[in-house]
Formats: sequence, structure tokens, C-alpha cells
Amino acid sequence: MTTHKYGVKLFFTNPSAKPLKDFIPVFHGWIQRQALPRHLLIDVHDYSHVHHGPGILLVAHEANLSIDEAEGRRGLVYIRKQPAPLREIVEAARQAAKLLGEPFDAGTFEIFVNDRLATPSAGQIAEATGGRVAQKKTDPRERLTFTVQAH
Amino acid sequence: MTWKEKLADKIPADWGREIDIYDTQMELRKLGKIDEKLFAETRLRRGAYGQRYDNGQRFDGFQTQHLKYPQTGLTKGPDTMWDAPGMQRIKIPFGGLNPRQLEVLADVAEEHSDGILHITTRQDFQLHFVHIEDTPSLMRRLAAVGITTREACGNSVRNVTACPLSGICRTEAFDVTPYAKALTYFLLGHPDTQDFGRKFKPAFSGCEDEACGLVHMHDLGGVAKIRDGKRGFKLFVGGGLGAVPYQAKVFADFLPVEELLPTAQAIARVFARLGEKQNRARARIKFLVDKLGIEEFKRLVAEERKILPPDPRWTQFPAVKEKPLKPASPLDSHRPEGFNAWLETNVYRQRQDGYATVTVACPLGDITSTQARQLADFVRKYSGDSIRTSVEQNLLIRWVSEADLPALYTDLKKIGLGEHGAGTILDMTACPGTDTCKLGIASSRGLARELRSQLAGKFFTMDAAVKGLRIKMSGCFNSCGQHHLADIGFYGNSRTIANRKVPHFQVLLGGQWQHNAGSYGLAIGSVPAKNVPIVVERITERFVRDRQGNESFQNFITRIGKAESRKMIEDLMVVPAYEKDPMFYSDWGDPREFSMGDIGMGECAGEVISALHFELGAAERMNFEAQLAHEAGQFAEADRLAYDSMLQAARGLVHEQWLDVPADPATVVKEFRARFASLFQPSLAAYLFRRHENAPAATAEAAHRLIEEAQLFIEGAHICADKVRQQK
Repeated sequence: MTTHKYGVKLFFTNPSAKPLKDFIPVFHGWIQRQALPRHLLIDVHDYSHVHHGPGILLVAHEANLSIDEAEGRRGLVYIRKQPAPLREIVEAARQAAKLLGEPFDAGTFEIFVNDRLATPSAGQIAEATGGRVAQKKTDPRERLTFTVQAH
Repeated sequence: MTWKEKLADKIPADWGREIDIYDTQMELRKLGKIDEKLFAETRLRRGAYGQRYDNGQRFDGFQTQHLKYPQTGLTKGPDTMWDAPGMQRIKIPFGGLNPRQLEVLADVAEEHSDGILHITTRQDFQLHFVHIEDTPSLMRRLAAVGITTREACGNSVRNVTACPLSGICRTEAFDVTPYAKALTYFLLGHPDTQDFGRKFKPAFSGCEDEACGLVHMHDLGGVAKIRDGKRGFKLFVGGGLGAVPYQAKVFADFLPVEELLPTAQAIARVFARLGEKQNRARARIKFLVDKLGIEEFKRLVAEERKILPPDPRWTQFPAVKEKPLKPASPLDSHRPEGFNAWLETNVYRQRQDGYATVTVACPLGDITSTQARQLADFVRKYSGDSIRTSVEQNLLIRWVSEADLPALYTDLKKIGLGEHGAGTILDMTACPGTDTCKLGIASSRGLARELRSQLAGKFFTMDAAVKGLRIKMSGCFNSCGQHHLADIGFYGNSRTIANRKVPHFQVLLGGQWQHNAGSYGLAIGSVPAKNVPIVVERITERFVRDRQGNESFQNFITRIGKAESRKMIEDLMVVPAYEKDPMFYSDWGDPREFSMGDIGMGECAGEVISALHFELGAAERMNFEAQLAHEAGQFAEADRLAYDSMLQAARGLVHEQWLDVPADPATVVKEFRARFASLFQPSLAAYLFRRHENAPAATAEAAHRLIEEAQLFIEGAHICADKVRQQK
């Protein structure tokens, strides 16, 4: 695995509980407090008008975080931009989810490779995450995506 | 594996070389070997633009935070942090692209941006939150499918726009696409377009009366005309929006198509030579035309035209043939739910019987990467390979057999792009505003989102005359949202109430979208941002109530007059005290207390870097490449590059006095000797003469010495350039 450009999606368990726009002040609050350790939080962007899009986006130097609605399933997406091991990327996503205070599915999450030059195997993802991993069947043009079931 | 390696055989050689040069310049900037202003203009001319907060400061609602980016001290332009997210603009000439290009755009948006493709008001795409070091890969991926970002920003010829209905329009004189394409690639990187004081925006339209290419608001515009069976253009020059909009002047009532490119070249030369370079606010060609008067401007262009060296490309217009995928077939009676409303607003019947063009309404000009890929599939399934972007921030699918419209509508609905209302009051245009623009004052996108959401609920009960109105908004007075052309336009400003800032929008009424942006709206007063929805409601209600017969909105506003128009909104201009209603003191979609503190220096104007400065920058880059070759043991190559770097610097100086100086070494050296020998330090000039007169020496030592000499020669060229400037 030569890339650090991984995305992690953690799914909300009660996805319709809160309107998307309610997350805007939450993320602004994070920036005010620089609440996410080892991240330089920069700005918030509203994509709530886009169908199944990144919803509300929090831009950091190290990663983009969003209340994502891709495939109609709301979750917190963490996309790494700066080098870090996959294990730390997953941990950072979990930390952000905890900070958000929304209930998440702790058992199953997704990892996608945001770099079309890299093709890690399910085994490599399993080794890094310690979970049971299966490659998700998607449109081949979409990013390589794995479903991870945490032990 | 890198994208450079993977796509090596797919990128046109000259485009690949340009991106390699840009890559090298990035490395040189990181090493501190090129000046930040020069690098800024370099990246701008490749479409890599600054973005809000890139000076490392952001007001968080309580205080201004200093954003501590890792590479402190490294900048990509004056007061622009290297690590700060930026914007990448991608030129789409005449808005035309194919499904494969759309797929690659989707991929790069996902991997280097935020998974959103934003369509601009000039048919470009923009990606936001892009790291500067990702831009070369992004450019290579686009180049491999025939898209260049060259000259998407900076003081250059920007995207050549054209009516998205060109070729299928029922009222056009002829299809302007081949001419827009020819002009694009003729002027792209042309030596005569490298020394502008500001940007230069061309546009084409197939007919005079429709909105089409918005020719009247462009620096250079052509409206297709046929005279005596021959094709030509009614040519306009010197239009522009910005803070003070100018209507373009007629340059020629009929210019034969063979004269289009040379005339554009001559205009570029006059603009480069006489256009303002110091005062950016007066540097667009509209000010030059205004200062000289159109007749004198035409005389100067005619003189320039006479001395242009002939160019075979002047009459080479590429064939742009679109072939429909399916035979034409009429729409049958099967109508899915919601189809009729969509058909009414989003479908244009082509002049080719049985075919239609579908406008895919993209809210605020945004689509996701996934939607873009699915759209590419639909284009392949229903149309073939023809997509166009529009200046109303939408996508058009052309050549759809009418029988396929219900199926296409159903498919679009499934991916959230089946919204009706294209070209209506719901189809708002908004520039990025405070979301990402360094110059934004108020949130144009936040306002558009709010208005859209409020009006969508009332659309079906609206009077037809109101449905047809256009609303456009900009985050500041610079008009990127084209607010001057809307029936109801807004631009962001600010007012101070009891020491607190309040976001406002200036209201403009009566602009004309039709007739190629026939007239501009007039400002009637500024209202707090939070009152804008009530302003729209009040104005539209009054229009419905007091309209006389089929009176247009423009005529209605003219008839009731400015004073009466202002009366409609006067009470809404009042801002309640903060203690009474703090909501007014924040902007749409942004809970932070409103501030003007985040406004930075815009990069729209680019850095004013002379062509000579670029030539000398290129010489330095070649010298650096010579060093790399030397390091790699390629001494002959190092020698060649060092020699070329001296020639490049010498040619740059000569080019200041002789625009058409050829590139052959003998002429360059001869002209340099004749023109600059007396101004150039003799010992440094001798380095060039000696190398020019002697055979290359390919030993390590000789190559190394030549590299050193070439560096000194380039220093001498800088000093010589200063002397020339002082003499001027």
C-alpha cells in the first residue's frame, strides 16, 4: 500500500434525526476550538443542495470531513490528504465521530481508496484495520471500496 | 507509478512539456529560486487560483485565527500560503466536452478536490480546496483527455465561450462552434497574448436577438451573420461587466470569417501595447477602447493587421461534426410523473426535426463526481458524445431523440438531476462569493440556496410572467454572477450599524439577458441579506399586479421609474438593532457574526508580470534544467540547455522591441548584438557570443562552466531590462 489517500465512512444509525444544515454551526464550533487533535481545521462548506453529495464539508489541512449522503446513506466521511498510516486514519475518523456526538454503527464501516493509482488488497486493508474485509461491488469507475466489519 | 509515467503516451507532447515546465517551476519556487510574484502569475496562467483564507487568517466568529500551515514561510504568491487550499479552474472551450472528459473531471474532483464539479458562469469547471502540489497530476490527467487548464486565469485570453445551442439552434445564422474552437487554440499561448495588463474574454453567438453568448458584455465578441451567401461576424469589442459595466462597441458590421483570427491577433497586439499595465482597475480593454474612441481603436488595429506576418492557421477552422446516436423519433404519449413540467422548461426542440436538447439543471452549478459519471452514461445511452456547459451553470445534453425524453427524464430523476425550472426564476446563477472567493463580501451561494428553496415551493402557483424572470447574484461588485444581466440582480456589500457589520445586497432591476446581454440593470438600493427573500416577493407581486398587458419586466421597471422601484424596498433597507434581532448580523448559511476581515487580495487581475519577465523566468528554468542534466551526467544536454537559456534571455530582450522576432539562434544573436550590446555588460554578453560561435563542448567541466556563464548572462539580461525600463 503506497498511498495515504484513504477515505473512511462511518454510518449514522439514525440518519434522519437532524437536518444537514444543523451540522454547519457544529463544524464552525470545531474550528473555533480547533477541536480535532493533530488537524488544522480551516473552513466549512455547505453542499446540502446537492443530491447524495458531501452534505456539509469541514475542510482541514490533513483531511476533508463531511456529513456525507452518498448512495442515500448518511455518515461521517473522513478523507485523508496528508501522509498517515491507515490505522491512524481510521482512528482519526472515529475520533471525529465521537466528537460529533451522533450515534454510529460501530460494527461496520467502509474504507475507500481515494487514489486511482493505488490498488491495495482486502488482505492489506484487513491487516491495517484488524477487521473482516470484503471488497464492495461498485461501478468500476468508482473508487475501490472495502466494507470492514470490526471484530 | 505516477500519473506522469502512466499517461506519458497519452498526453500531447507540447502540453506534456508545458506541464513539466510548470512542475519544475513549482520545485524552483520551493527552493526559493523564483520570485513569488512570478510564480503566482505562472500558476494563474495554468488556472491554479487562490482561495479565501489563503493568507493564513480566518475570522471564526469571535476572533481572527492564524492558520498554522506546516510549510510556514513558503508562499505561492504574495501573502498566499503554500499549503492553503486553492481553486483550480478548468477551461472548457465553447463549453463542449465528451463523456470521457466528464469522467476524468469526476475522478480528479474526487481525488484532488471535494468530489464536486462546479460549473462557472463562463462555461468553465472549478474545483475547490485543491493543494498546489496536486495540480501537475491533475493537469496531466486532464491533458490526457484533451483538456488544458492553460490560461484559465491570469492576464490572458480566458475561456472562449459560445452559445451552448450552437449547431442545433433554430434561429442561428450558422454554427459558431468551429470558429470558437479555432480562436481558442490560435490564441492559446500565442506570443501576442502574453503581455496583457488584464484578462481578455471572447464570446460567440449564433444570433443577435437571443441571449446566447452574451456578446455585448465581452472583451471581444462575434455574432454570426451571413452576407451575400458568405459567413462572417458582426464583431464587438470593449464590453465587460465588473464594477462599472460597459456595453461592447461595434468593431465591424460584417467581418468575413477568414479575417476573424488575424483581426483578433491585431486587437491583442494593440491591447498588449497600449492597454493600461499599472492601474489594474483600468486595465481591461473596455477602458482602452473608451479612452481611444472606437474609430481610433479600429484605425490602430487596421494598421497592425497590415503588418501581421501571414499565418496558415488563420483559415483553418476545424470541422465539428456531431452525429446523433439514434434516429429521430417523435415523443409518444407515455409521460412519467413530473415530466410535463420538466419538458416545458428543460427541453429545447432542435432545428433538426425529432431531436431535442435537454438542460440538466445543476443546483448552484454543482454536481457530484458520481452524478457526473452517471451523466456520462446517459449521454452515451441517449445522445452520443455531446455535452455542453452553459453560462447559467447547467449542463446540456444534445441530440436526444424526442422519443427518448421520458426515459432520460426518469434516469435523471434517479440521480437527483431531474429538476424542472431550467431558465426560470428557480435557475439562479451565483458566483462562489464568500464560500471560497477572496474578494467575496456576502454569501451569494447562501442567498441563492435560500431563495431557491423558498421559491421552489411556490413555483407551480406563480404567475407565468414571474416564472420566466431571471435572478443572478454576485458576492461583490465584480459581477462574476452576472447580476447586471438579470431581471432581478444582487451583489454583496456591507453596511456598519452601531459598529457592527451587516451583510447587504445591492438590488438591481431590469437587466436584459436577451439580445446578447442587451442592457444592464440599475441599482435601486442596498438591503440587508436577510431581507432579500422579502424583496423578491414584493417586487414580483407588484409586477404581477401592475403589469400592463404582456409588458416585459424591463419595460415595467422603466415605466414605474427608479424612485418608485426604490419605494418598494425602502422599509426593507432598515436594519434592526443587534439586541433586537442578531440574525441580521450573520450571513445566509454562515452562523459566524459577519465580518469584512476575511477579504483578501483578489487574483482575478493576476500579477502584472511583463512578457520579458516571463522570458527571463523561462531562461532561469532552462538553466536549472541544465544543472539537472549535468547532475545526471548528460553533459551534452546540459551544454545545450545552458546555451538555450542564454538565447531565451536574449530573445526576450529583442522581443520587447520586435514582436515577431524569430527563434533561430543566428537571428537572435544578431539582433541582440545590434540592439543591446551597448547596454549589456560586455563580459557577460561575450558568454553568449562565444558559445554561439564555437562548437558545443560536451565535457563535464566545459558544460559546468557554460551553466555558470549562462546564469551570469541571465543576470545581465535582468540588469539590461532595468536599464531599458529606465530609458523608457
